[in-house]
Amino acid sequence: MARVLVADDAAFMRKMVGDALTKGGHEVVGEAGNGVEGVAQYQALKPEVTTLDITMPEKDGLAALKEIIALDPAARIVMCSALGQESKVLESIKAGAKDFVVKPFQPDRVIEAVGKALG
Amino acid sequence: MERRLLLVGILEMFAPGQVQAGDIAVLEAGASPLAGLPFPAVATNVSYVDGVTGGNVFVMTLEGARRVAAAMMGASEPEPAADGSVELTELEASAVSEAMNQMMATAAGAISTVLGTEVEIGTPETRTFVSEAEADGAYPASPHMVRAAFSVCGEPCRLVQLVPNAFVVRMDRALDELGAETVPGAGAAAASASPAAAVQSPHGAPSLAGIPVRVWAELGRASMPTADVVGLPQGAVVELDRAPDEPIDLFVNGRRFATGRLVVVDSDWAVRIESVLDLSSNSSDIEGEVARWPVSS
Repeated sequence: MARVLVADDAAFMRKMVGDALTKGGHEVVGEAGNGVEGVAQYQALKPEVTTLDITMPEKDGLAALKEIIALDPAARIVMCSALGQESKVLESIKAGAKDFVVKPFQPDRVIEAVGKALG
Repeated sequence: MERRLLLVGILEMFAPGQVQAGDIAVLEAGASPLAGLPFPAVATNVSYVDGVTGGNVFVMTLEGARRVAAAMMGASEPEPAADGSVELTELEASAVSEAMNQMMATAAGAISTVLGTEVEIGTPETRTFVSEAEADGAYPASPHMVRAAFSVCGEPCRLVQLVPNAFVVRMDRALDELGAETVPGAGAAAASASPAAAVQSPHGAPSLAGIPVRVWAELGRASMPTADVVGLPQGAVVELDRAPDEPIDLFVNGRRFATGRLVVVDSDWAVRIESVLDLSSNSSDIEGEVARWPVSS
């Protein structure tokens, strides 16, 4: 079980990811609706795993990932991408993301990615 | 056509077995994307913000939107609406927006392949319209509009592509450039194959026979997660799905049109065609044979 922060601008996706994580025995400790909130929540909550949507207003997931890794190089982050965002996914992995899930995804895939991030 | 298959694929993931593709029509300039649809209707628009201009509007009946949202959340039926309410709940609106977001991300990826540049989409915006009068003028007039009809969860819906002239010019140029990469000597085979006739210039070229098309041969395919691709070291062996004695595939502008054998002609690779496929039927198994970019819809 891990304490997880979920960042996605879509309330529906936060619910989907949150429900999947709860089903997998994890605890959603916080939600963020954009990258700026994501970075702030990360600092405040110190979650064990953070999921970041790539496309978010204010600050996108890639920029938020880089800030979080700069603050905490050991941060465990899973990216959520839509189809067609392969180059951003690659950049995220290079920037330190542990795994990624591609939308639309099955709940088990989210649990698996978080499990992989936890090592 | 190919793009519509991609979009149906996305919708199918949200509402399995409940999506049917309908006709595709070109709308008159200045027409409302919502004209003729039962109201109240829910419309989600997403614009391209980088790479190209224009956008798309996905329109459904209110009931259709509720059913799609319910299907996306794993429920068989939508929650009963508050008395007479014609507004989606925040979660329902978010679900519908997300469906459109993922369809548009796929479309942007396909356009990006043609243009050879990143194409970014903006944030989806979902609105409910109670009457055609209210919807009139809600979206900027567009010189070109293409409407693809669907049925989702038993309710009519449509995807309308809003195409500014700048978009047409860019796609036209990119398709021309792709055509310029035609393999020398393969033109005769391509010209005799019928898919060339399906490739229409957005400007409606009077003769299609002279349009150069891109022809390539495929030895085999492999599928692996992106993470594995990134980690491939020099010297790694990627296994393909084809035995050495099997024929290889020939594609024209993304569509498989023949199979043949790899041979050597004047010290260059060449393909001897063994069979030309029947492309006149719109069989449902063509999805895997179609490269993922739109041939003008």
